[in-house]
Amino acid sequence: MKVKFKAFAQFSVVALLAAACTSDPDSAGLEYMPDMYRSPAVEPYVDYGEVRGQINDEFKMRRSAMVPPRYAIPYWGTDSATVHTLLPYHRMPGRLFAETHGLYQYDLSSNEDADYEYKMAAADVNPLKLTSQEVADKIFAEGKALYQVNCNHCHGEKGDGEGPMVKSGAYTGAAVLSGLTIAEGQMFYSIYYGKGMMGAHASLLNKKEIWTLVHYVRKFQDQKYGTFDANGAQAWGTMAVAVDTTAKK
Amino acid sequence: MFRSIKQWCIGALSTVFVVGAFDSFAQVDGGALFKAKCATCHSPHKDGTGPKLFKVREKWASEGAKEGSIYLWVANWNAAAAADPYAKKVSGLKSTAMNTFPDLAGKTEEIDAIFNWVDEQPDPAAAVATGDAGAGAGAVGEVEEDGLSWVWILMGVVFAVIIMAVGGVRRQLRNATREHEGHAVNDELSFGQEFKAWAWKYKRYVGLGGLVIVMSLIVSLFLSLYSIGVLEDYQPSQPIEFPHDIHAGKNGIDCKYCHNSADNGKTAGIPTVNVCMNCHKQINGNTPEQQEKIAKIYAAAGYDPATQKYSGKTKEIIWNKVHVLPDHVYFNHQQHVVAGQVDCKQCHGDMTKMNETAKVQPVSELNKIEGNVPLTKATLTMGWCIECHAEKEISSGSLDSKGSNYYNEIHNRLLKDRKLYNKFLEDKKITVKELGGWECAKCHY
Repeated sequence: MKVKFKAFAQFSVVALLAAACTSDPDSAGLEYMPDMYRSPAVEPYVDYGEVRGQINDEFKMRRSAMVPPRYAIPYWGTDSATVHTLLPYHRMPGRLFAETHGLYQYDLSSNEDADYEYKMAAADVNPLKLTSQEVADKIFAEGKALYQVNCNHCHGEKGDGEGPMVKSGAYTGAAVLSGLTIAEGQMFYSIYYGKGMMGAHASLLNKKEIWTLVHYVRKFQDQKYGTFDANGAQAWGTMAVAVDTTAKK
Repeated sequence: MFRSIKQWCIGALSTVFVVGAFDSFAQVDGGALFKAKCATCHSPHKDGTGPKLFKVREKWASEGAKEGSIYLWVANWNAAAAADPYAKKVSGLKSTAMNTFPDLAGKTEEIDAIFNWVDEQPDPAAAVATGDAGAGAGAVGEVEEDGLSWVWILMGVVFAVIIMAVGGVRRQLRNATREHEGHAVNDELSFGQEFKAWAWKYKRYVGLGGLVIVMSLIVSLFLSLYSIGVLEDYQPSQPIEFPHDIHAGKNGIDCKYCHNSADNGKTAGIPTVNVCMNCHKQINGNTPEQQEKIAKIYAAAGYDPATQKYSGKTKEIIWNKVHVLPDHVYFNHQQHVVAGQVDCKQCHGDMTKMNETAKVQPVSELNKIEGNVPLTKATLTMGWCIECHAEKEISSGSLDSKGSNYYNEIHNRLLKDRKLYNKFLEDKKITVKELGGWECAKCHY
């Protein structure tokens, strides 16, 4: 009899342990008032296939975060200086960008020369002007923060194309930014629509941020860029490298 | 066995590298030239924007190119295409036109140095193939650990069956002995009656045992009540088993590159497939498991790695949301990341070491991370939020040092009310709570 009790006790302990240890990582656990977790109010990344017990097959396994409608312009406030820098980019991606960079959501340039718009971009100038040391320092500080997040892992801290991804051997061929021989408008175009292996960054950065980065990249090429001499005049000249627009087909 | 092969491989590789290095010291540094001029589009063993360059001179020679036309091509492909029909054919291979390199015109020695360097590069795909099986064995171990609780349940069932069977046999044996001794067979006593008699006989032990069981049931009931609505350890399965440690750890990608709206939106954002493709257009995986996962990205992006073209036929990758808050709570990433300058790891843990899919890290794990405010309440509960609001300092010095307009404004108003300011500074720090972080309407409205 005693043996039987012992066995029973053992069994119940094992059963209790098993019940306690079985936790399904896929289950969010018991919720009270589940309607508070999946309310009818639309939030991004929530599955609305079931709301308050109502099943809606149309919304099942569909994300609620959506791409804005085509040609929609985001609202950037009423500061005209800011709004001006954030108006839609007037240059179109080249004829082949849909195939090479997956840019199917854009109207492509119809020009036979796939690089036509890129060449034209050489004439674009940075709308963010470095008017004084204070303004320049602010732009470079912002540029550095943006660079750390968006560019550093490939192009490297010093713009030498030796970012952590390249050093780890995962990626090869990040452009050496300090040795770039393209105009600043073309830098913008390349960041916005991508170039070569690099994809388009238009979905990650707005126009103001890209122009800020262009300032920061030019600093790699010319240490004097964005510095002012004792009289408050610009200490840097025009771009040191000649812009070669004939290099492309 | 694997280890020795691996070591041998590393040895062989380093020998190749050393020999290569000596070669290039002797002449022009082909590696440096390659990195500066070619690497953006070409790689030794992988087709990229431009074709792979491994043994390209031999390839051109064997496929009937005119002698020397490859050197002409490198400097100015237009001129080469005009002079050599093979080069003309090559110019149609890729949709992106090659850059011209006027500085390399006529510099056969330098171009040869580049090609020599390229030909010396070992194929990374071949090196990986040998070290592959080790990773597979690790995965099997994990699966076994996962099924452990089921083993316990199975063992319990087996035990129960054995106990029942032994009980039955015992009963029959006892009846048989009774019959043998001439007593009446006591068959009408059921299991229940027998148990009753047994329980009465050992009432002290049974009572004690019963008390323990009842107490533990009550305790577990309350514990399970406490766990209602607590998401700790929630780790939903994902369409792609994404290893954060490789991306954010080994490759040093900033959290905010992919979770791009963390500093300007309510949600941190799940990266769209085009962000994945910014790197994965080139990186297609070294092991079969990696290639399988990355193939899912290609399928979603409508990208064909063989032709290196997008088809425009995209489909969605549907990720499961991990950190779910009830809708009566307002949480904003921008507020915490920009104004509050809270590091991601305070709430999400150290993702640079997280090999599994994302999960709600239990607070005990979060507390282990250096620089985190230590907390006691379960992750993603209200207690956890307000505990941090009470602990987290706005800044150790002046409020201005945070460089955020939000706190500057509060600071300016505080300076007009020295009494309140000094009260706040009694404990030598200003917390979020003191600046209104415990107001109900901050998060509930």
